[in-house]
Amino acid sequence: MTIAKTLYVLLMALPVLVILPENASAYLDPGTGSYIFQVLLAAIIGGLFAIKTYWLKIRDFINRVFKKP
Amino acid sequence: MGTTANRLKGSFRDPSGFVFFQNGTLFRSVSRLYQKDYDHLVQSGLYNKLVEGELLIPHREVHSSEKKDDEYKIIQPEIVPFISYPYEWCFSQLKDAALTILRIQKQALDSDMTLKDASAYNIQYFKGKPILIDTLSFETYKENQPWIAYRQFCQHFLAPLALIARRDARLSQLMRIYIDGIPLDLASRLLPKTSWFNTGLLSHLHLHAKAQKRYESKTPGVKTSKVTKQSLTPLIDHLESAIAGIQWEPAGTEWADYYEGTNYTQNTMNHKKRLVEAYLDECKPETVWDLGANTGLFSRIASSKGIQTIAFDVDPAAVEKNYRQMRENKETTMLPLCLDLTNPSPALGWANEERLSVLNRGPADMAFALALIHHLAISNNLPLSHIADFFSRLCRYLIIEFVEKDDSQVQRLLRTRKDIFNEYTQKDFEVAFQDRFSIIKSEKISDMQRTLYLMKSLDTQ
Repeated sequence: MTIAKTLYVLLMALPVLVILPENASAYLDPGTGSYIFQVLLAAIIGGLFAIKTYWLKIRDFINRVFKKP
Repeated sequence: MGTTANRLKGSFRDPSGFVFFQNGTLFRSVSRLYQKDYDHLVQSGLYNKLVEGELLIPHREVHSSEKKDDEYKIIQPEIVPFISYPYEWCFSQLKDAALTILRIQKQALDSDMTLKDASAYNIQYFKGKPILIDTLSFETYKENQPWIAYRQFCQHFLAPLALIARRDARLSQLMRIYIDGIPLDLASRLLPKTSWFNTGLLSHLHLHAKAQKRYESKTPGVKTSKVTKQSLTPLIDHLESAIAGIQWEPAGTEWADYYEGTNYTQNTMNHKKRLVEAYLDECKPETVWDLGANTGLFSRIASSKGIQTIAFDVDPAAVEKNYRQMRENKETTMLPLCLDLTNPSPALGWANEERLSVLNRGPADMAFALALIHHLAISNNLPLSHIADFFSRLCRYLIIEFVEKDDSQVQRLLRTRKDIFNEYTQKDFEVAFQDRFSIIKSEKISDMQRTLYLMKSLDTQ
């Protein structure tokens, strides 16, 4: 497993199982967990995607600066 | 125009509209409730884009004076020749269907729409490709709205695909038990522990299942219920790469390498092919069901003539091989499907009316039962009269191969069982089948203990 993968697993598992706040009102529906989970997962994946996009921009910028004659 | 009387039995869940038959033609009634969404689908150009990309079934709007007040439009979609179900698909058919749904969802998001369901039953094989048949599956995207069909997608596609690839191909049959897809906690328990190290399966299946359990009695708060579009698109992409990453190779099953292990020589094989072709040309059927098609060698004689052909086989590996060949050659008249003839797909769902049995989706103009009868009569102890009766309900014309007891393949079957099959003779076969069919012609296959018959069902004469 690569470092990126391990990081991803940690990022995923921790909030889902520990951090997410719970609202206590009785409403039994198997879809509720999916709904909450998707909100969280989208935030993580969206966040990682944003970081990746910025990182690529920074990398391209650095490459351009240093490759110039 | 559409009334409860002619409404399709499985079409009741969605208030946006329903499907009905009138004078043998299929229509879809679009409710006034769906007016805005329907207009958005058409006016945004999404409908045209999806139809051009062969992702959505084309339809035409019908102008009818019989339209009721609550009906906005009546549309007439193109007809899918044969409705098949996910528990009849092989691995790659299910995977291609999953990727089709995600491709549609991405294009929908580009046009500010979203799929409100992701049911595998909304995908059908049409001209050789998976296509969405439910035109009313789209709704206008609302800012910060999560993908409401996410759970259904995971249950209908991700779970069965992972189970086939990571555990056993036969687990696709769980789709037959769970009509709204395989529960994620069940899939999570059945999958091997190594699947936790796959990021796609970890997130969309295992942790998803855990979250369902943890939050089953909670209501999502306003603060936590937002998914921005910037996050939703990467989520769909992630799901897409999770699906694309699930791989399964068909090998090691009983039938997938069948043609390498038969007792046919090239000469006898050619003779059998010529006979099948001649019988086909004589009857000119529009639809053929090849029962026990293996990888579709004989089915292709029919499908290459433009005949809509279903190649059924019990072995998911054989069906997988057939599907891959069909996909590679871009065949449009062939549909390989998994079917156990000794326990064919039953009628399922609410009131046993949502999903049709195989019999209810027939009869076919013609059926092939090639090198099959000995498996039914000897391996499954089925009396010949029962086989004749069932076949007469499946088809109008029948090409059937009788395999004598002396044949080496029959002898192989008898090696491990007591020969209690005194009534398995060619004469008994003809008597049993003549009760249900008239024999049009028959010919012995050269150098073989086998005879090929062309028969016509007595019910249709």
